Amino acid sequence: MDDRLLLIAFGAVVGVCSGLAAVALYYGLVFMVEHLSVLREHWWVFVLPGIGMAVSSLFLEKVVREGAGHGVPEVVYSVSRHGGLLRLRSSFSRLISNCLTIGSGGSAGPEAPVIISGASIGSNIAKLFSLNERQRITLVGCGSAGALSAIFNAPVAGMVFTIEIIMGEWSAANVVPIAVASVAGAQITRLLRAPEVSFTHLSFNVDLTSTLASVGLAVVTAAVSIIFARALRYSHHFSDKIPLPVWIRAFIGGCLVGAIGLMLPGVLGEGYHSIGKMVEGAFAGGLGLMVLLVAAKILATALTLGWGGSGGIFAPCLVIGSFAGLMYHRFIDLLWPGLSWVNEGCYALLGMAGLISGTMHAPLTGIFLIVDITGRYDTILPLILVSALSTTICHVFEPASFYLRDLIEKGQYLKPRTDAKVLADMSISELVEKDCRTVPRNMLLGDFVKVVQQSHRDYFPVVDENTGEFQGMIHLNDIRPYLFDSVMYETVFLEQIMKINVETVDIHDELSDVLDRMDANGLFSMPVVSSNRFVGMISKATLLDRYRNELIVQTQH
Amino acid sequence: MELEINEFCSCLELPLSTVERWIRQGRIPVKKIGDRCLFSDTALRKWAQEHNLPYCPPDEQTAKKQAEKPESLSEAVGRGGIYYDLPGKTVEEVLGEAVSAMKDIESESDRQTLYETLVAREQMMSTGIGNGVAIPHPRTPLTQSSIAPQIAVCFLAKPVDFNAVDKKPVYVLFVLVASNSKQHLQLLSRLSYCLRDTTFLNFLSRIPPPETLIKKIIEFESHLNGGE
Repeated sequence: MDDRLLLIAFGAVVGVCSGLAAVALYYGLVFMVEHLSVLREHWWVFVLPGIGMAVSSLFLEKVVREGAGHGVPEVVYSVSRHGGLLRLRSSFSRLISNCLTIGSGGSAGPEAPVIISGASIGSNIAKLFSLNERQRITLVGCGSAGALSAIFNAPVAGMVFTIEIIMGEWSAANVVPIAVASVAGAQITRLLRAPEVSFTHLSFNVDLTSTLASVGLAVVTAAVSIIFARALRYSHHFSDKIPLPVWIRAFIGGCLVGAIGLMLPGVLGEGYHSIGKMVEGAFAGGLGLMVLLVAAKILATALTLGWGGSGGIFAPCLVIGSFAGLMYHRFIDLLWPGLSWVNEGCYALLGMAGLISGTMHAPLTGIFLIVDITGRYDTILPLILVSALSTTICHVFEPASFYLRDLIEKGQYLKPRTDAKVLADMSISELVEKDCRTVPRNMLLGDFVKVVQQSHRDYFPVVDENTGEFQGMIHLNDIRPYLFDSVMYETVFLEQIMKINVETVDIHDELSDVLDRMDANGLFSMPVVSSNRFVGMISKATLLDRYRNELIVQTQH
Repeated sequence: MELEINEFCSCLELPLSTVERWIRQGRIPVKKIGDRCLFSDTALRKWAQEHNLPYCPPDEQTAKKQAEKPESLSEAVGRGGIYYDLPGKTVEEVLGEAVSAMKDIESESDRQTLYETLVAREQMMSTGIGNGVAIPHPRTPLTQSSIAPQIAVCFLAKPVDFNAVDKKPVYVLFVLVASNSKQHLQLLSRLSYCLRDTTFLNFLSRIPPPETLIKKIIEFESHLNGGE
């Protein structure tokens, strides 16, 4: 069967499955909220998120043994380093832990868990049918797109997010199956439930002044994005330093979130309900309250995710964004009370786009998510303005997307078709040249000259004849002065000529490090030595040759 | 035509690990039957061409390997022939006799060119390498002519003054003809290996019959081949 058709068919299947995962999580959350809402009257309700988060972290750490990551970075990492390989248990583990975290009141989003579930479903379907890595990566993308579009009923946003963040490249071979999966995921949602975040009944009249004023909003959302990203990271590093078991940390964090929630219940949970109220203009509260809410939501999310809760930052971004949008609307209304502004719901939407663009460096996702959930293009001009400006400003202070930052710092994010990716794909064992002849250290120069005569290489590794251990290297240049001196033939042993303490490479070294070392020492080739045995030589000439092959093979499909 | 994975690796001149990784990553068109991978020759040739990779199918490879095989001295002598009692008193005369005696030259014009180039080389500098041996050869390989690479061994009736390095008169010629420089150097190097050896020189001075001479050459050549 044709490769493209095959991927489209599999894409549809993966989209449906990840859509089902998203619907399952939705009903899980509904169930949790319904059964726990009766407890809301009690004063001790603030421990509820603590319990939820503690159980959630215990489940992740002890039962399924997965790190409590946000989900999206794990998917990106697997795509960039492991050809999209994900564990089967990832397809449900984070759904359960996330259900516990959010259902009990933790401030986090259900998107990242659904994305990793969808991606894992895609990866395991690919594994089941023994597809190759390229196809598997596409199916991982399909899973992520299907999941995201199912949870928001936003097919375009699901597709764009996947391509912007997960895949890191646009290519015709990827886009088509991902689009199909996106549609399939959204269709599952439409069949099985009413979408929560949908504002197709609203219309917005955006005039020139409001459009211009959105530039100011972009600055605000950029600032809030930077604070949000830093708060998340700081909270994570801070909790890492506390010498307590993970689940106790999660319990403390959860209780703190619950305490914030006692005063400001709007910050709890994933917050879709508050978003709805804000966009429809039914959210009461002055400028001061809005500032407080932005801060409180940032704090609550940082505590939830940093201290061991499980979930993503997508929904919190939307909530903080709409708080910020409303805050800005109240502010300009106060500044120029006479002017007629577009209704505050529009600014809430713009704020969401601004936060997504700023935090994730995904401007297109921000734009298309809003277009998807409003079902119209009324707000497109200020949307583009806010998204583009917010990303640009954030880029100055935060060089990479929140999702990718940790991976980049660890050097684990490899954009497709880049130098780093090409080098990471090749291994030393593929490049090592094994046609070098080793010589024993006790060989006489005279015998060595005969070896040189019959060899076609300039490098000669010297080994111990008894143990076979690598001792040093001789280059043809090293013996050139003595080459025609027959007196030295019988008097000089190779160990007297060889260079010791030569720079060597291990067979498992990263190629990029090897190249750096070659550059730093001005070398053109290095001996590969593994557990004291000489394996072969690695040279820049061969490397360039293979690098070019690899680059061509990777970039042309 | 279908290829196995190791055949395919040698076609691309790439290590097995690279090709296996490319299959795993889905970069090579491959048909999978269970755990076995089958490659179609035509599809791969197209793929290699699209990706600018060198592709050398098995039959071309064997041809290439044969071309790379070093020239054999004994075969070259077999082609050139061994001649005895060639007359002549000067360098030009003995060279002329040697060229006209050589059996494996078809056209008369080739014979003439060979003679002229041999004489020209001798005038530049003697090819008498001492111990009564000379190796007359054209200065540049005869790429134009149809003469096969060969060495004609010519024992002279009377030793001739060849203006050799050790001033000794020459009693045997090894006329060396090659069609390219690589062949020329290979044959020359093999010949000089034999002629450096005193046992070979002593053997040669006894003017051995053709069969024993060829046998001796084969014996010496086996030392060379064994050393590699």
